[in-house]
Amino acid sequence: MNMIAPLSPGAPILSRTEVAGLVALAARTVPPLWPLESAIAVNPLAGFENLPFEEAVGRAAPLFRARRNLPLAQWRALLALGKVEERFLRDAAIHKLGGLDPAFELIGPDISRLDLLMARLSHLPVENEEATPDALTPDAAFIAKWCAAFFDQGQAAFAMPHRELGLYRAALAVIAHDPEFRALTGAAGHHLLLSVPRDPLDAIAEGLVVLGIPRSEEEGKLADLVARLPGWAGHIRWRTENADADISDGAPAGMADLLALWLLLDRAGAVVTPPRSTGEPDVTAQLLAQFGLTRATLASLPEKGRKRFAEIATMDEGALGGVFQIAAEWTYRSGLATKLQSAAANPVSCEAPDAQLIFCIDVRSEPFRRLLEAQGRYETFGYAGFFGLPIALHRFGDMRRRRLLPVLLSPQHDVVEAPAPGREQDALSLAAGQEQARRTSMLFNAGKQGTATAFATAEATGSIAGVLMAARTLTPGLVKRVNAVLSPSREDVLAPASGQHRDHAWHPTFSLSDKVGFALALFKLTGLSAQTARLVALVGHGGSATNNPYASALDCGACGGHAGGSNARVLASFLNDPDVRAGLALKDIRIPAETWFIAAEHNTTTDEVIIFDKHSVPESHGDDLARLVESLAKAGAANRDRRAALLGRTAKDLLTGAMHWGEVRPEWGLAGNAAFIVGPRRLTREIDLEGRAFLHSYDWKKDPDGTALTTILTAPMVVAQWINCQYLFSTVDNDRYGSGDKVTQNVVGGIGVLQGNGGDLRIGLPKQSLFTDNGTPFHVPQRLLTVVLAPVDRVERVVKSNDILDRLFGNGWVTLVVMDPHTGKALRWLPDDERDAELSVAPTIHELEI
Amino acid sequence: MTDATFGELRLHRLKKIEIVLLAEDRLLVEDLLKTAGVGGWSMIRDVAGMGHSGFHQGKTIFNDQSGLVMFVGVAEEKIISEVARGLARLFEKRPGVTFLSDVEVMRSDYFAKSPA
Repeated sequence: MNMIAPLSPGAPILSRTEVAGLVALAARTVPPLWPLESAIAVNPLAGFENLPFEEAVGRAAPLFRARRNLPLAQWRALLALGKVEERFLRDAAIHKLGGLDPAFELIGPDISRLDLLMARLSHLPVENEEATPDALTPDAAFIAKWCAAFFDQGQAAFAMPHRELGLYRAALAVIAHDPEFRALTGAAGHHLLLSVPRDPLDAIAEGLVVLGIPRSEEEGKLADLVARLPGWAGHIRWRTENADADISDGAPAGMADLLALWLLLDRAGAVVTPPRSTGEPDVTAQLLAQFGLTRATLASLPEKGRKRFAEIATMDEGALGGVFQIAAEWTYRSGLATKLQSAAANPVSCEAPDAQLIFCIDVRSEPFRRLLEAQGRYETFGYAGFFGLPIALHRFGDMRRRRLLPVLLSPQHDVVEAPAPGREQDALSLAAGQEQARRTSMLFNAGKQGTATAFATAEATGSIAGVLMAARTLTPGLVKRVNAVLSPSREDVLAPASGQHRDHAWHPTFSLSDKVGFALALFKLTGLSAQTARLVALVGHGGSATNNPYASALDCGACGGHAGGSNARVLASFLNDPDVRAGLALKDIRIPAETWFIAAEHNTTTDEVIIFDKHSVPESHGDDLARLVESLAKAGAANRDRRAALLGRTAKDLLTGAMHWGEVRPEWGLAGNAAFIVGPRRLTREIDLEGRAFLHSYDWKKDPDGTALTTILTAPMVVAQWINCQYLFSTVDNDRYGSGDKVTQNVVGGIGVLQGNGGDLRIGLPKQSLFTDNGTPFHVPQRLLTVVLAPVDRVERVVKSNDILDRLFGNGWVTLVVMDPHTGKALRWLPDDERDAELSVAPTIHELEI
Repeated sequence: MTDATFGELRLHRLKKIEIVLLAEDRLLVEDLLKTAGVGGWSMIRDVAGMGHSGFHQGKTIFNDQSGLVMFVGVAEEKIISEVARGLARLFEKRPGVTFLSDVEVMRSDYFAKSPA
């Protein structure tokens, strides 16, 4: 064995910084994985976005042992449901074959290549289906077990010793006593534990030399190991790159720790290379039979014909699924572009609104907005749901702050939550109740997990738990009402105190200039006119679910996986501040004196809307508010009916489901998301977008230098693309890129979920968020379609000046369609591979064929 | 490094490293600087400029990870050379440029090696 072989004198050993560089690159193989309390959607293939989409999927699939696309049977089900149109499937097949001429090339008598491919797509059985889940190999299971022990956040009965030394050193200190380690590594492992460097970077450098990894393969080797446990590796990335420093206090760990552990096993010969390829399928016999051909006919074809036939007969499921995916994208794009072009040509006239409402861009806002607009003279806008405020909130009674902003940003202002005037006593009661619940839970867990107390705890609390369980199962509404009577409503008692600094009473959290800047951004980015209505509501959103590890995934992504009401309250307070209005007036935004801003929060699970701080609304606006509240209730009821139909439930069920601890699908979340539309509401107001579009308001006439468009495309659109890719890949392979069935999940250490009782932390979304109960995908896996209403030259300038946009559009991760207001034409941004295939003087934009 | 004088001032010769790269990669560089033992550095956000792939936009409002950043660090030659070795591996895959130069500083203790 090579594990204790001395380093040869001539073997070049990497410096610590070289190893750090390699580790950092390898770490990019997986994206950060946010914990359950602030679940953030990320593209599981974010580390591959520098590659064209198809190539990235092809590279990642063997690394993660994942499918490249949805199984063919499921695509065929979506075809039958009309989610993919036959004509677009045919067009996509022609595209796959290289265009019309190659597609209609005859293989046999009256049989074209297109006929063969269409048969494979629509009828023929699939052989050698792509990877299906396999059990975790013993090496990965071993490392996952120690990760779970190290990263536990106080849930385990016994804490892992020596955590302060870091993951790698702490593991070295204890794994000698683990029989699993001895079984995996034998005597070699024992010797290595005594001799390997204690520093993870040094251990990696030595490991790469001892294992004889050539320089050109070093990063690939480390990337392979990172990809073996994408959940734990993602957790490490979140901890080191995105979490507050106190999360790691007493238990530091970086990707080098994880990789050093892997290399330790590798040097001991304990690393198993999982099988990757299932080989190429060959459906020659079925294809011949389908067209009444024989092997003799095939053999009589010229060599070119036989080769063409074989290309299609051996096409694997991933490639066939890719054709379907493009067909789904074209089906959707064609329908949407036609409607938008018609709307752009026939703008609707807008009466002066009674009230204006600024919603989050979230796809769930769109149907609610449409139904609200039907209730009266309401004008609605779409804006990033954190309302442009880079804040962290210190909730009353909570130990840790919450980052209420997109993960693309770091908090710039720490806002404290404080008792509303006159509610100080209620706030103290609320905090005391919260603390009591926390202590009771800790005591119960300690008793439940103690070897001596487990049975006594069950005996003592079993009957109470039984009654509570029955109540929560049979009458969840009653339990909620009882709780509401016993404790005051948090939003009435507490409010974000934007004027009060957390640590320095003499120093405000926000300067006047900050407040004016954040208020101004609302107008600049959405195109909201300074001539505002009497009442303007900033509407954040959040979901509600009980006993659901993924509850925060239903909250606002722009608010870091939290509800957005606090952000709305803070910005509304700025906009009602006379000093801020005076500051805005100096920037030519003169808000009418009779305008009052209110904050609200849309509950996307129940479609109820809370209005915050009603007591501060001037009496003069009482009737306006009453009318709005009534309209919101009607819109909510209508939207509940609409959503209930999609869930196959009754509207009443949705209210119950939000409170029921056994509910596995309280809402569809952002399933179905497909488009990101940047333009004024008049472009989309008359179109039923079916809750599939992120809507960001934008007025190109008010943005001559493209600054607002740059911001919209480089931030909200990027977040939308992450969400889109998370839904796409979680659907394509729910076992690898998603988190599998909710029913068999277990929450681990307060940070994630496992399937069963061990293994890797699961990434992505659960099956119930994406598939109907009969297994058909509710979410159609397709890439985001971004539509911008703005002059083409301006969009082109913005895209070319921002690497992130050039990469996303150029590599085909997002399709960009520009609707030029001057010409009325819809133009598609050409991905790099299509541009290369076009003329030598290649345009970046191509007229869209609809 | 030998020291020098500038008028009445006693100067200390050190190496300076300047690194321009995508903002999304800034943590990779911070990691390298720490690993090499650089005691401190400056980071300039929203760096605009012209490069191989055209003009790079400077400031974006809602995304700290877009655009370019520039790091400036000063330390002893041995440490800066360590940083450069790590960067060389990084820049095999990621875009970015590095400039190395000799500098003279007044307070050498400001640039002392930090524990890795």
